[in-house]
Amino acid sequence: MVDTVQPVRTGPAPSATAWHGSGVGTQIVILAGRAVRPVFLRPSRLVVSLIQPFVMLGLFSQVFRSMADTPLFPPDVSYINYLVPAILFTTATTVSAQAGVGMTSDMRNGVLARFRSMPVRTFSVLTARSIADLARGALELTVMIIMALLIFGFDPPGGLLGTAVAMLLALAVGWSLGWLFLALATWLRGSENVQACGILITMLLQFASSAFVPVASMPTYLRAVATVNPLSYGIDAARGLILGRPVGTSVVGTLAICLVLSAVCSVLAARGLDRTGR
Amino acid sequence: MIEALDVGKRFGKVTALDSVSLEVPRGSVLGLLGHNGAGKTTLVNILATMITPSSGTARVAGYDVVSDGSKVRQRIGLTGQFASVDEDLTGMANLVLIARLLGAGRQQARERADELLAAFDLSDAATRPVQGYSGGMRRRLDLAASLVGQPEVVFLDEPTTGLDPVSRNAMWAVVQRLVGDGTTILLTTQYLEEADRLADSIVVLSHGRVVAAGTSAAMKAGLGRRTVTARLRTNLEALDARTVLERGGLAPALDESRDSLIVPVQGFQDLSTIVRLLGEARIEPAEVALTEATLDDVYLALAADEHKVSV
Repeated sequence: MVDTVQPVRTGPAPSATAWHGSGVGTQIVILAGRAVRPVFLRPSRLVVSLIQPFVMLGLFSQVFRSMADTPLFPPDVSYINYLVPAILFTTATTVSAQAGVGMTSDMRNGVLARFRSMPVRTFSVLTARSIADLARGALELTVMIIMALLIFGFDPPGGLLGTAVAMLLALAVGWSLGWLFLALATWLRGSENVQACGILITMLLQFASSAFVPVASMPTYLRAVATVNPLSYGIDAARGLILGRPVGTSVVGTLAICLVLSAVCSVLAARGLDRTGR
Repeated sequence: MIEALDVGKRFGKVTALDSVSLEVPRGSVLGLLGHNGAGKTTLVNILATMITPSSGTARVAGYDVVSDGSKVRQRIGLTGQFASVDEDLTGMANLVLIARLLGAGRQQARERADELLAAFDLSDAATRPVQGYSGGMRRRLDLAASLVGQPEVVFLDEPTTGLDPVSRNAMWAVVQRLVGDGTTILLTTQYLEEADRLADSIVVLSHGRVVAAGTSAAMKAGLGRRTVTARLRTNLEALDARTVLERGGLAPALDESRDSLIVPVQGFQDLSTIVRLLGEARIEPAEVALTEATLDDVYLALAADEHKVSV
């Protein structure tokens, strides 16, 4: 059946016309496009990822609402305005954990092996994956803010500008955590491990932070964790931006943490991927 | 085109490859024959720059696989044991992706993908996600993917393992055409028949070492195209039978675990000779069968050679 069709160029190409690989920029664009695509190819995935922020908003604004009546809670602040900056960050964290899961499945189904036998750089593969999840995060966060404004009575004193900057900050934190999960994926292998580790780390980051309740209301040991948690810094900064309060150095501090985290983790991830050794 | 010199690879304490040397001239096909765990995939992965050798050197398309890995990767195609294609993408999108990564423009990539899909009989499935493909279709797409850049050297790691006979024949036809086009191929397989049909020369790997190498014709001449398997009733009888057949000018190999003799033969004539010799010696085998030579027979024949040398 195969040999009945017209001749095809299968033999070696004359070196002048041979394709010898694309530039790093092109590689990243193509691979990022590939990583984003399945989200849109399967509408069910898209719907699920958009329902998530909706449920989070609904659930947390109802469950923790009474927090606003406790003495440690800042006065004159509605709980939804307090909550949105937090949910921006917890959602970004959840999305970034997906980067690790996506990388694991590429490693398992052999797609990564093919890229590695081609003139494609490890750096391009990893960067593409992290950019794809950044795009997905941007989509989810935008939808979430619109829902919060339209349905949940979100009314940011810091205005839309403050909210937009807070969202960008959340994306920066999510992006750098994405590198952490990519590094985990390349070192742990095995999707179950990555999934379990991902859930553990996201839970810890999300709840042992200033996300849902003031840090001052926590027991000492949790307070210690919450104070070193990069998410706490980001959330405090975003809260300042959204509530229209002075943010001081917290924005710069958060960005610095992001920079260090992504620098360290990107090196680790590249090493993990090349570990079986080129 | 492919040269390996004393290539060794250890994983921890396990020696996967022990000083393997081989050479594949431009435009020829080398069949790398061996059981699971013989080290075939490890060798392919080293030559395809996926892993680094622990010792020795290898050059592919004129470049060292360790120091010039990126040059090598520009000139090779690799089809692994498991189809490495993106399940979520269509067959078309998979090939376009590879072409674009190799540096083709949008239009060129589409044209190349169309061409390969047609050649591999996948045009009808081009716009369907790979998830719905059969095993044979996946393998064909995988092979097509490794040919997108028209590589000078193609590595095929067990290209037909797990395929049904029809898909296997289709795969063989593709490989034969590649050969006709001047591509250099290293093919690993567990099947003697496959190596025999496709390869110009054969290297037999066992426990990470080269145990035999030569042209397939020489290998066949040494082994015979077919073998007669004679199962005896006892171990003692098997030993007697071996002596009898050796005196008769045959080269039986003893498979002690099954009290069987495996005798490479040229044809039906030899079968009757075996029956006659055993009859004259009043040895009555439990079973005598004429079969196509298998990889096991190659190993046993090689072991028999060693036995002769030591005697």
